[in-house]
Formats: sequence, C-alpha cells, structure tokens
Amino acid sequence: MTAAVQGRLMSWEGLLLAILVVIVAVNIGYSPYYLGVENIVNLFQLSIEKIIVALIMTLIIISGEIDLSVASIMGLAACVMAWMFQIGVPLPLGILAAIAIGALCGAFNGFWVAYVGLPSLAVTLAGLIGFRGAARILLEDRAIGGYPAWFNGLGQQPIFGPLTFSIIVFAVLLIVVGITLHGSALGRYIYVMGNGVEAARYSGVNVKRVKLLLFAASGAVSAIAGLLYAARLGSVRGDMAFGFELDIITIVLLGGVSIFGGSGSLLGVGLSIFLILNLRNGMGLANITGNTQTSVIGALLILSVLVPNIVQLTLKRLKGRET
Amino acid sequence: MKKLLTTTAALAVLTIMAGGVYAADGKATPGKSIDMVLLPKFLGIAVFDQAHTGAAEAQKELQNPKEVQFLGPTPENSVAGQIEIVTNATTQNVGAIMISNNSGDQIVPAAKAAHDKGIKVVTWDSPIPTAEGEDVFVAQVDFNQTGQVMADMALSILPDGGEFAILSASPDAANQNAWIKAMEEALKDPKYGKLTQVDLVYGNDQSETSYSQALALVDKHPDLKLIMAPTTVGIAAAAKAMQDEKLCDKVKISGLGLPAEMVSYTMNGCAPQFALWSFVDLGYLSYYTAYMLAAGDLEAKEGAKFTAGRMGDYEITKDPTREKGLRILMGPFSVYDKSNVEAAAK
Repeated sequence: MTAAVQGRLMSWEGLLLAILVVIVAVNIGYSPYYLGVENIVNLFQLSIEKIIVALIMTLIIISGEIDLSVASIMGLAACVMAWMFQIGVPLPLGILAAIAIGALCGAFNGFWVAYVGLPSLAVTLAGLIGFRGAARILLEDRAIGGYPAWFNGLGQQPIFGPLTFSIIVFAVLLIVVGITLHGSALGRYIYVMGNGVEAARYSGVNVKRVKLLLFAASGAVSAIAGLLYAARLGSVRGDMAFGFELDIITIVLLGGVSIFGGSGSLLGVGLSIFLILNLRNGMGLANITGNTQTSVIGALLILSVLVPNIVQLTLKRLKGRET
Repeated sequence: MKKLLTTTAALAVLTIMAGGVYAADGKATPGKSIDMVLLPKFLGIAVFDQAHTGAAEAQKELQNPKEVQFLGPTPENSVAGQIEIVTNATTQNVGAIMISNNSGDQIVPAAKAAHDKGIKVVTWDSPIPTAEGEDVFVAQVDFNQTGQVMADMALSILPDGGEFAILSASPDAANQNAWIKAMEEALKDPKYGKLTQVDLVYGNDQSETSYSQALALVDKHPDLKLIMAPTTVGIAAAAKAMQDEKLCDKVKISGLGLPAEMVSYTMNGCAPQFALWSFVDLGYLSYYTAYMLAAGDLEAKEGAKFTAGRMGDYEITKDPTREKGLRILMGPFSVYDKSNVEAAAK
C-alpha cells in the first residue's frame, strides 16, 4: 500500500469521525432521550442484522468481489427454519439446518466465481433472485410465528446487562473479522487479491480456495443474521429482509472500502456503521419520516463515492502543475 | 405531619373518586398536553391522509397543544419501519401511539415495550392479531359485516353466478385477512351457491403490483367474471387494468374503494359497485380514544363508555373476531354505485 493511498484512507476515516461527532452533537442537543441506555441499545438493535452482514461484506468487497445475495440468503435461512419448525422438526435442528443451507448457498456462489471464473456481480445477482424465489416457494404467502420464548428472546431479551444476544454476536464477529483482516495471513491475501488476482496468484495465494471460503462464510453469516431477524420479529415470511443488500453495501462503501477492491479498513466500516445508525436514530427521534431518511442516506452514499474521487483528481492536477 | 398525611390521603381519595367519575361519564378533559403518534401502514395512501385529517380535527377540538405526529414507513420497508417508529416513539415516551398494523404479530415486541412503559397503544384500521401490547382496536366496521357486504356485492354484480378471485393487500394485513375469511364464511349460505372463488392473490398495496396481479388473474382463469379487492389501492389498480385492456365487459371489479378514486370506473361500468367507510371519521375516533386513554378519562376495559365529540357515544366491547382483543366499533358502511358515487367523490 502506497503512502498516498494510506493518507487518503486516514483522511477518509477522519472525515467520517468528524461527521459522526457532528451528528452525535446534534442528536444530544435535539433529543433528551438520545443518550439513554435504552436508546443506545435500540439504535443497534433496530439494524443489528444489517450491520452483522456488513462485517463479512467488508471482506468480500476488499477481496475485489461483491455478494448481492446476502439478503435473499437471510430470508431463505429464516424460511427454512420456519418451515421445518412448522412440520415438527425440533427448533435447534432447524436452526442448524438453516445455517448449513446458508453456507451452502454461499459456497454455491463461491464455486461459480472462484472455480468457473464468472463475475460475482452476475452470479450473486442470480442468487439474489433464486434464493429469494426458493424462500417464497417454501412459505408461499404465509407468515409463520409462534416460536418458543427462548428463540424470540435471542432477538429481543437483554442477556448481558442491557445487551441482547444479537448485539453480542455482532461484537464477537467484529473482533473475529478485525483479527482476520488486519492481523492474519488470510487478511493479507484478501488485500492482495483485491489489488489484482494475477498478482495474488504469483505471490502464492490459493485464490480459488480463499474466494470459496469467503463466499461460504458470507452465506453462513447471512443465515445467522436472518435467524436473528426472525427471532427479533417473532415471525417469518417469504419477503423477509427484502432489499437489505443495498443498505448493507451502502454501509461498507461509506466506510471507505473501494468498490474495486484492495483497499479499506474495518475501522472505516465501524465508523460508517456508527454514523448511519446515529443518523437514522437522530432522524427517527426528530420524527423525520421514512422517505426523507432514505433520501438523506442516499445523498450520503453519493458523496462517499464522489468525494474521494474528486479529492484524488484535484491532487493529481495540483501535482501536474508543480512539475 | 399527621395533618399533612391526612390531607394527602383525602386528596388521593378525592382524585381517585374524581377519576372514577370521569371514567363513568366518559367525557374528555380538553387542553391536556399529550404527545401522540399516528402511524399508518405506510405513507402515500389517500385514505391514511384522510385519517390524519380526522385526527388533526380531533386534536384541535380537544385543544391538545401538541400537534399529532403523522409518521409512516416507506412501502418497501413497512414491517421493519413500523417497528422502528414504535420503538423510537417509546424512547421519546409519548402519551399514545395509534397504529394501523401492517406487520401481523411482528409488531408485538415493540408494542409490548411501549405498553409496559405506560404508553397507550390504540390500533385502528388493522389490529394486532393476538391483541398483545394493544389497549384497544378502533374498528372501522364489523369485520363479519365486511365479509357479508362483499358477498352481497358479488351476488348483485353476478346474479347468475360465476368465477371470482380476490386481490388483497399484503399477506400480513390483519384486517384484509379477517374480511376475506368473513366473506368466505358468508359465501357458505346456499343463496351464494353459484359463486365460486378460484384464487386469492396479493398486490401488497402497491399500484403496479396490484395492476399486474389483476391481469395475471384474467390470464390464469379464462372464465373469471369478477375481481373482489378489499383494498383501496388494489381495487383502483384492478379497475384501471381492466379498463386499459378493454376487459370491463368480461371482468367486473368490486371491493373496498375510495369514491374519488373510483368514480370514473363506476360510471363507465368497470366497477359497478363498491363499498367503504369514512377514514376521516376513523382518524377522528381513534384520536379521541387514544387521547382519553392517555388523559385518564377512559379505561381500556370491557363495558367502558365514552363520548367522542361530534361522532357521539361509543362503548368498548370484546372483539368477536379476536380472542383476547377489545374493540370500539365505528361503522357504518356506504355502498356506492352509479346513483351516489358522483356526489360522494366531491
């Protein structure tokens, strides 16, 4: 990584931090309820499934790929669990089966991308449609609820202080992804792959196996997130988590991860998560409705793609003038 | 000290008595400052805007200095969005939340959290199926009657019988589900024997989806004679689809619709008959109910009576369509056809 790229990243994270501070300050000034423990927990809780998947998506995008099928896998996993529960399979077994199917779906994506060499955009787009279709076929237009209290509790009940099980899952995954990306050989491979598959191959990385692993992990984590969503809502239907992939990719890109792969950090994604959650929460407490919230977050994403490019172009021009 | 205690005790007794008196005669105490949220299924639907108008009217009448907050999710994000809005309203410790529930029982944890905090949760238009976390449901009409009215309209449009299909809103909409069930129940009467239901599809209360679902029904069932849409979005979209494809002579549309949106289809014969109630009144009555519950003028229990401004007297009863629910029944139905739709559309 060159010093210039590193500098740009540093300043990007600095910018995110600055925006975050402004948002938090405005929120504190605006709403007396903002700083309450209950609100801070809710702030995470209301988007917890998306931010869990955003962590694994960070690895995928840095490796130079994309996974558009995550939300459909979330839905499919929840539907598999609900369907098995309905036909009388013990719930723990249904949960394991759902996670296994999520991992299989991911591995299926990974196979076409890694071993056949198809672009992940196309493969996972097919997954987005196909896995969602399977979910809808399983449950048709029904909503299946009535799970035992312990299962619903996984998504709602505080188990450690005010923290829920799903928040703890997020925290653990954050640490695991952090160590993988920034402290392990696998993490270095992911960056190298994102900078160019050829280069990675020459430096001895088993590109195929790493890609397959990443997509399988993405499927498994998405399945877990889908199950947590089911637990939070207490009910499952075929269109669950529909459209979540866009919010998830938004979080990762806003975190400064390059859509072309090879650069970005978990710190940036972490800040981006904080930023978006606080922004949403602030707008919610200010009684700003859904349509406006979506527009504001959309504008933020456009900026996140534009600003780094404009800065880079300007820097180039300035340099050109100097020489 | 002792005197103080006695006075306090006496005051407390007086307060309780006063409260009791209020609850008994069920009159609203105007002028209280109560934060209230009106939550539609989602934004951008005419009937929900009308409910907002009614709620705002009631707010002025009751002189609540806090303007009613009309907050809704986007259609794509309805379930998670409703949960988020209820959760945020709970954090802000508002006095009452009025929900047209589009999330089935998925809203229960959020509604329960609000209820446990002392926030009054009133549902309107569409209730919480299990009634958990809900104080009372303000029902627009009797749900069994809705089924009866739809069955009668079907028979009056198809006196010789034939195939019909239902185009509903979303599969989790408790109100539509209850009406469809009630209609199927009503159709068991032998006098409807010649009517056959061949399909049930969902347009998710989105115009484009409902439009294409209506056309798909026609393709799928060549002998189809009627589409019954118990949703204002679905009925208008289906009528437009039949008109655009010049199918009105073959397939008629009926169900629940807004006169202003349906007038042209009724006059040109695509939708000869449909029904609805006033959403302005529904918003007004829901606001009165929620305000009086939050102000302590009314208790959410069976048999409690109250007066809701210009709309007159109401009573809280058991909800015959939900095992554990309480209900306030508004009513009545208006059935529209060529003779009265133009006047109502104005």
